[in-house]
Amino acid sequence: MDSTNLQTVGLLIDIFAAAILVTAFLVVSSRSLVFYIRLFALQSFFLGIVAFLVVLGYGETHILIAAVLTIAVKAIAIPFVLSRVIDRINVHKEVDFSINITVSLLLCGGMVILADSVAHSILDAQRADAPAVSRVLSVSIAMMLIGLFIMTTRKKAITQIVGLLTMENGVFLSGLSITYGMPLIVEVGIFFDILVAVLILGVFIFRINKTFESISIDSLRSLRE
Amino acid sequence: MHDLTDWRLAALTFMVTGYALGALLPALIGIMGRALVKSVVTLDSTIKNLGFTIALASSLAGCVLSLSVLLSGEPLYVEIQPSLPFGAMALHADMLSAFFLGVISLIAAAVSFYSLGYATGFLRRRNMALLVFLYNAFLLSMTGVVLSAHAFLFLFFWEAMSLSTYFLINYEHEDPAARRAGYLYVVMTHLGTALLVVMFVLLFSRTGSFSFGAFRDPGSRLPAVVQSVIFLCATIGFGVKAGIIPLHIWLPEAHPAAPSNISALMSGVMLKMGIYGMVRVYFDFLGPDIPEWWGILILIVAVTSSVLGVLYALTEHDLKRLLAFHSIENIGIILMGIGGALLFASLGNRPLASLALLAGLYHVLNHATFKGLLFLGAGSVLHATHTRNIEELGGLIKKMPWTAFFFLIGAVAISALPPLNGFVSEWLTFQALLLGFHISDLTVRIAIPLTVALLALTGALAAACFVKAFGITFLGLPRSDHAEGAHESSFSMIAAMGSLAVLCVVFGVAPSLVVSVLDPLVSSLPGVHASGQVLLGGGMMLIPQSDASSISPLALGGLLVAATLFPVAAGYLFGGRVRKRVVMTWGCGLEKIGPRMQYTATGFSKPIRMIFSNIYRATHEIEISEETSPYFRPNITYELRTESVFLKYLYEPAYHVIIGSARMVRRIQTGHIQTYLAYIFLTLVLLLLFAR
Repeated sequence: MDSTNLQTVGLLIDIFAAAILVTAFLVVSSRSLVFYIRLFALQSFFLGIVAFLVVLGYGETHILIAAVLTIAVKAIAIPFVLSRVIDRINVHKEVDFSINITVSLLLCGGMVILADSVAHSILDAQRADAPAVSRVLSVSIAMMLIGLFIMTTRKKAITQIVGLLTMENGVFLSGLSITYGMPLIVEVGIFFDILVAVLILGVFIFRINKTFESISIDSLRSLRE
Repeated sequence: MHDLTDWRLAALTFMVTGYALGALLPALIGIMGRALVKSVVTLDSTIKNLGFTIALASSLAGCVLSLSVLLSGEPLYVEIQPSLPFGAMALHADMLSAFFLGVISLIAAAVSFYSLGYATGFLRRRNMALLVFLYNAFLLSMTGVVLSAHAFLFLFFWEAMSLSTYFLINYEHEDPAARRAGYLYVVMTHLGTALLVVMFVLLFSRTGSFSFGAFRDPGSRLPAVVQSVIFLCATIGFGVKAGIIPLHIWLPEAHPAAPSNISALMSGVMLKMGIYGMVRVYFDFLGPDIPEWWGILILIVAVTSSVLGVLYALTEHDLKRLLAFHSIENIGIILMGIGGALLFASLGNRPLASLALLAGLYHVLNHATFKGLLFLGAGSVLHATHTRNIEELGGLIKKMPWTAFFFLIGAVAISALPPLNGFVSEWLTFQALLLGFHISDLTVRIAIPLTVALLALTGALAAACFVKAFGITFLGLPRSDHAEGAHESSFSMIAAMGSLAVLCVVFGVAPSLVVSVLDPLVSSLPGVHASGQVLLGGGMMLIPQSDASSISPLALGGLLVAATLFPVAAGYLFGGRVRKRVVMTWGCGLEKIGPRMQYTATGFSKPIRMIFSNIYRATHEIEISEETSPYFRPNITYELRTESVFLKYLYEPAYHVIIGSARMVRRIQTGHIQTYLAYIFLTLVLLLLFAR
C-alpha cells in the first residue's frame, strides 16, 4: 500500500475517531435511555469501522475478527438486549443527575484536553513517525474518562451500563491505537466478558426494579452494612 | 562425608513426611471412617494412637537430625525444586537451626508420648481428628520455621504456625474466654508478622534476594539507620511471638485456653521461635556491626519482662496462667543473655558476648524442658481434677505422687536451685554479666549491675511463686471435691513427665554436654565469632573465662544430697529411739482442722503484693451480707483485682485511636456507588494530571 492510500486511511481513521468522541458527548448531553443505547450502537459501529481501517491500512489481519465481533456483539447484540430491558421495565428517562448537563459537557471538554495532553506525553516518549492510528490514543483516553464520568454522575442502572461499555470501547480503541489491537485471544475474551456482563446486569436491573420499584441505584444504599 | 549427608537427608525427609502424614492420615481416617466404623470411640482412639505415634517417631527423627548436625558441626543444606524467584528456595540446618530443631524435637517427643494418654480425656467429647491434624501441623510448621533458608518459606511456616495455634487455642471453642484469647492472639501475632514482612523487604532491598545466605553475606551491609530499623522490626515482630513485655498480653490468655499438651508446646517451644528469629537476625544477618543501644534496649525489655512476669505470676491462682506468666519471666532471662551478648559485641568484647549468648541459648533449652514438664504436670492436674484454680486444689501429693514429684522437680528447676538445669543457665547468665564489670564503658557500668540485681530478684520471686504453686496445689488438705476425687495419671503421661524430669537433672549436673555443643554454635555466628572460652574442668566443672569463678553442679548436687542425707543418717545412728506420730499436715497441734483453715494462695502472696503494691494497683472489695446479727455473718465474699498497667496505659489508648480513626475512615464509605466511582474518577484524573 502506497503512502497516499495510507494517508487516506489515516484521514478516515481520524474522522471516525472524532465521530466516536461525538457519540460519547451526545450520551452526556441527552436524557433518553433509548437514545443512549442507539448512540452506543452507533459508537460501536464506528469502532468496528476503525478496526477495519486498521486492517486495510496496516495489514493487521488478526484485527478483522475483532472488528467483526465488535459490530456483531457491541453494535447489535448488546443494544438489542438493553432495548428489551428498557421495554420490560418501562423506564425511559434519566432524571437523576448529580451534575447538570451543561456543566457535564464542559467538564467532558476538559477531560478531552487532559486526555490529549496525556496521550501526547505518552507518544512523544515513543517515536516521532508514529502511524495515524496512534493519534487516536487521545480519543480513547477521553472515552475512558467520559465513560467513568457517566457512571459517576448518572443514577439509572442502564446508564451505568452504558458508561461501562463506553469505557470498554475506549480500552479497545487504545489497544488498537498503540499496538494495532491486543492479541486475538484477549479480545475475544473481553467480548465474551462484556456480553455476559451485560446479560447479568440486565437480569440485575430486573431484580433491582422488582425489589425497589425503581432502577435508581440510590436505593442500593439501603444495602449498606 | 557423602554417606553422612544421605543419611541426614533421610532423617529430614522422614521427619517432614512424618509430620505431614501424621496430620493428613488421621484427618482422612476421621472423614472416611465415620461411614465405615460404627463406634466413634474406637475410631477416635485409633486416630489418636496413630497420629501421636507418628508425631513421636517424626520428632525422634528430628532429634537424630539435630544431633548429627550439632555433633559433626557440618551444616545441612537442601535446595528445593522448583525454586522461587529471588533466591534459592532451600531448607538448611546450620548449628543454630539444628539446636532449635533439637529443642523442638525433644519436647515434641515427650509431649507426643504424653498426648497418647492425655488426649483420651477428649474421646467422646471432641473432634479427635482435628486435634491430631492441628497438632502435627503445628509441629511441622515449627520445624519448618527453623529449617527455612528463604524468607518466603520462613514466613509461610511462620504463618502456618500462628494459624495452627490459633485453631488449637480455639479447640474448646464453646468457652467464650478461649475465643477471646484466640482473637487476641491472632491480632497480636499478625501485628508481629507484618513487621517481619517489612524486615524481610528491607533486607531484600539491599541484597536483591530473599535467601538467608544472601542476607548473611557481609558484602551486603545496609546503612546504619536501615540496620536499626530492621533491628526494631525484628525485636517487635519476634518479640510478640516470644511474649516480651509489653507485647505479652495474648500469652496469659492463650496458654490456659489451649489443651495442656499444646500449652506445653506453645510455652516450651513456640515462644522460642521468637528467640530463634532474634538470634538469627541480630547475630547472623545484622552482625557484626552492632550499635550499643541495641543491647541496652534488649536488656531493658529483658529486665521488664522477667521482673513483671514473675510479679504477675505471683498473684495468679490459675495454674496454667501462672505458668504462662513464668514463661514471660523466662523469656526475659533468655533475653538478658542475648541483650548482654549484643552489648558486649558492640563494645568489641567478643568472648564475653559469646558467653552471654551461650547462657541465653542454654536457658532456651532449659526453659523448654522444665516449662514443658510443668505444663504437662498442670495438664495432669487438670485432667484429674477438672479445675485449674489452685484455690480449689490441695493434698494432691497423696493422690498423684508421681505427678507431684515430677512437678516438684520442674518447680525446683525453674526456681534456679542447684543442681537442676535452671540453675546452671542462670548462673552462666550471672557470670557473663558480672564479668562485664571489667569493661570501663559508663553505660555498661550502669546497666550491668542493675540487670544482675533484677535477675537476682527474679530468681527469688520465682522461687516464692513456686513454693506457692506447689504448696497450695499438692500439699495440705483437699480444698474442694475436685481435689478430693483426683487420681493418678496414666502411664504415658507419667513416663513423659519423667523423661523431661530426667532431662532437667541431666542438663543440670552435666552442663558440659550442652556447653560443648553450644560453644561451637555461638562462635559460628558472624555477630559473635569467638569462643566463650568456657573451660570444662574434667567434663563436670564449668569455668567461664579462666579468671572467673568456677562451679561444678555435680559436686554441688552431690553435696546437697549428702547434706540432706547426713542428718537423717546421723539421727538413725546416734539419735536413739524414734517415736512416730501421725498427725494432720500443718496441724500445728490442733485436733480438728478443716481445709478452709489452710493458707490460701491469695494469703500466701499477700506480703509480696503489699511490697509491690505500686505495680499491682490492686483493688479489693469485701462484701458482707448482713442478715442476722453483726456477730454471725453468713456470707463474706472477698474479691481482689489487680490491674494490668500495660492494658490500661498502652493497649486501651491504642485501641481507642485505632477505632477512632476507623470511624473517620468510615465517613468516606457512603454506600453510594457514585461516590465510589467519583473517588476512582478523581484519583485517575489527579494521577493523569500530576503523576505523569
